Amino acid sequence: MIDPSQPTLKGSSLWLDAWIKLGKNRLALSGLVILLFLIVVSLLTPWIAPYSYEEQNLMLGATAPSAAHWLGTDIFGRDMLTRIMYGGRVSLMVGFIATAVALVIGILWGAIAGFVGGRLDAVMMRIVDIMYALPFMIFIVLLMVVFGRNILLLFVAIGAVEWLTMARIVRGQVMTLRKQEFVEAAYSMGLSKWAIIRRHIIPNTLGPVIVYTTLTIPSVMLLEAFLSFLGLGIQPPQSSWGLLINYGVETMEEYPWLLIFPGITLSLTLFALNFLGDGLRDALDPRASKD
Amino acid sequence: MLYKKLYSKSVALLAITGLILTLSSCGDYQSNVESGNREGTLHWGNGTEPQSLDPHIATGVPEHHIISSLMEGLVYKDGETLEPRPGVAKSWDISADGRVYTFYLRQDARWSNGDLHNAHDYVWSWWRALQPALGNLYAYMYFPIANAKAYYDGEINDFSQVGVKALDDYVLQVTLTEPIPYFLQLLDHYSTYPVHRATVEKFGTADQRGTRWTFEGNIVGNGAFQLKEWKINRRITVERNPHYWNAENVRLNQVVFYPTENVTTEERMFRAGQLHYSGIPSDKIQTYSQSDDPSLRIQPYLGVYFYRLNVDKPQLSDKRVRRALGMTINRDQLVSQITKGGQIPAYAITPPGTMGYYPESDLAFDPEGAKKLLAEAGYPNGEGFPTTEILYNTSEGHRKIAVALQQMWKKHLNIDVILLNQEWKVYLDTVSNHHYEIARAGWIGDYVDPNNFLDMFLCNGGNNRTHWCNPVYDQIILQQVPKAQTHQQRLELFQQAENILLDEMPVIPIYIYTSNNLVHPTVKNFGRNILNQANYREMYLEPQKTEAID
Repeated sequence: MIDPSQPTLKGSSLWLDAWIKLGKNRLALSGLVILLFLIVVSLLTPWIAPYSYEEQNLMLGATAPSAAHWLGTDIFGRDMLTRIMYGGRVSLMVGFIATAVALVIGILWGAIAGFVGGRLDAVMMRIVDIMYALPFMIFIVLLMVVFGRNILLLFVAIGAVEWLTMARIVRGQVMTLRKQEFVEAAYSMGLSKWAIIRRHIIPNTLGPVIVYTTLTIPSVMLLEAFLSFLGLGIQPPQSSWGLLINYGVETMEEYPWLLIFPGITLSLTLFALNFLGDGLRDALDPRASKD
Repeated sequence: MLYKKLYSKSVALLAITGLILTLSSCGDYQSNVESGNREGTLHWGNGTEPQSLDPHIATGVPEHHIISSLMEGLVYKDGETLEPRPGVAKSWDISADGRVYTFYLRQDARWSNGDLHNAHDYVWSWWRALQPALGNLYAYMYFPIANAKAYYDGEINDFSQVGVKALDDYVLQVTLTEPIPYFLQLLDHYSTYPVHRATVEKFGTADQRGTRWTFEGNIVGNGAFQLKEWKINRRITVERNPHYWNAENVRLNQVVFYPTENVTTEERMFRAGQLHYSGIPSDKIQTYSQSDDPSLRIQPYLGVYFYRLNVDKPQLSDKRVRRALGMTINRDQLVSQITKGGQIPAYAITPPGTMGYYPESDLAFDPEGAKKLLAEAGYPNGEGFPTTEILYNTSEGHRKIAVALQQMWKKHLNIDVILLNQEWKVYLDTVSNHHYEIARAGWIGDYVDPNNFLDMFLCNGGNNRTHWCNPVYDQIILQQVPKAQTHQQRLELFQQAENILLDEMPVIPIYIYTSNNLVHPTVKNFGRNILNQANYREMYLEPQKTEAID
């Protein structure tokens, strides 16, 4: 992606640089591989799952891991591996989509407020403050009660709450960036405000945004588990990692595998996201020296 | 600095995840049981926040546990035998035809504020309980009393025609329409408890719901204890009532009721020495019984677990659909694999053996027959059957049963069912207002008689809550049963009524309860009875030398 507005001197793009740097970061790369693996497995689950996720076998009940059921079965005799695979579909989807919603709103809101400044900034940030002051759980519960239970709404509801911090982070970054020389230079070259935001401001805020994103995804997954536990999220017999963990906790002494396996899966995802986020931040920091 | 903040956030997040994963136990350890044994304070896991402490409004078991400490009826039931014992009435006569009861009240009975307590309190309280505007769901408990039903239905307006009279300040006479064998037992039910008139009227009119009279600092009762503190969703504390007629023989100083909706949490509190009494999650029963833990109590319990079907909903208005739902529940698997507490599969509403009554039932697990019925009702193979919702009050146990039934109905009938849980008070409101499709329910005997299970489903019965109404059924329960000449004839009439109920199936019986609880060994005189009614008057705590429970 060579920027045509640059002098024709051959330069490597931010993205290519980042990709090369990321490739050198073993930890980040392994995080990426784990994440891709989980995503691929989730996508293929309906075809590769060993059992049905809803078919119960009450007479079997909860059994420890065995050759037939690698991760054991839950109290209804359902295969845990299958449950975790299907749960991953919901958890990852909620995690990514809700975070994406938060990301888009947060970045736009923060960038505009920070860049334009003045009265608009004040108004926009007061709106964020007001939203912050709302007890967000009640806010989500209200949304769900008014609009009914619907998994899409769950994404939007969580996303609509999670963008606030994102907007603040981005605004703070933008405030420091907009007086910097390269932005002045862009002005003097006659770029429009929108072009400056898009081309110079947002890429420079990517570091903290990405770190925050990797933190948002797992917190959104846990939030989903909590809402589902209250009966506001997804419906049984469907499940998600957070819900599996919640139920696993209830019987952790009798049937520890019901807690351990979903717990490991969620932690693994979380670590993978954090390592990847760390690596991406280093790789995407345009101020870091190019080597 | 920004990064530092983010990192501290990430650390916090990891810590929270770690907390959820390992679920570290509560930090500060101070055993309620140890201090309670010393001070005479009983710590009671009560399951949920009560709907109300007004005895003419409450309908649930958790409410019963609290109200029975705060108030007392004319008689109370013995903790072991359930025989009536003199409460506010020190003695009573029953006329030869069994219709007229004359109660002689104690002259030393007092309200908890010291006011005199006499027969006029009963006349006024029972008048209040029969005011339609109060919405007393238990009003039908009074119907054995002469003219009580006519008064409640508005057919007569003069309460003096109802069969309850104060002959003088301390003599109360009650006249029944028919001699019924269980009348004295009714008098230990909270729906017939007296309320303190001055207090009720101070905070609203007599038939006003939800006034502040039951709140901390306001409520006046006549029981062994009085309300000391009500911290919503945290605890309700009752302390010894010095004006109680038998106060010197009450040995507990305080009872603290904890509203812990999650039974897993409650059991953990018990193990941590925070409770003397708690429920037990079904999956832990085996662990406890294998280690011969003396705290575990599994007893017969006169109660039935069932599902209400709202017959107003189009898909549930056809009795063939309701039967089909009832015929596709594999109750044997449910009790052996899910509830695990020795519960008995129920194919009728009345628990077997209630006063010698063993209901017969044609209900059985029959998926093929059920499929045919559903097809006849216009839903062949479940096609066209709308997604239906099961409502239950928030609890792990109810959820498991609902998840199992959801799958049984999906598998055998190919119909889609979704789950909705609500907090206890909200759930009670939703069900009473018929804003549900299928609702989990449980009915614990208020007194030991099949009538208690069957008169729930009268057309205007407050605890019917299904809008199901069958005049023949009403006629049997209200007219024929009270007139039965022999016990055998009476039981046959109950069977007739039960057959109608099972044929039309506005409610699906699922299992007969057992009471599975944990009771700390230091609790003495706990009493065992099939109603699992606690008798706080006689309980006491005996500290052990070594507090060794794990």
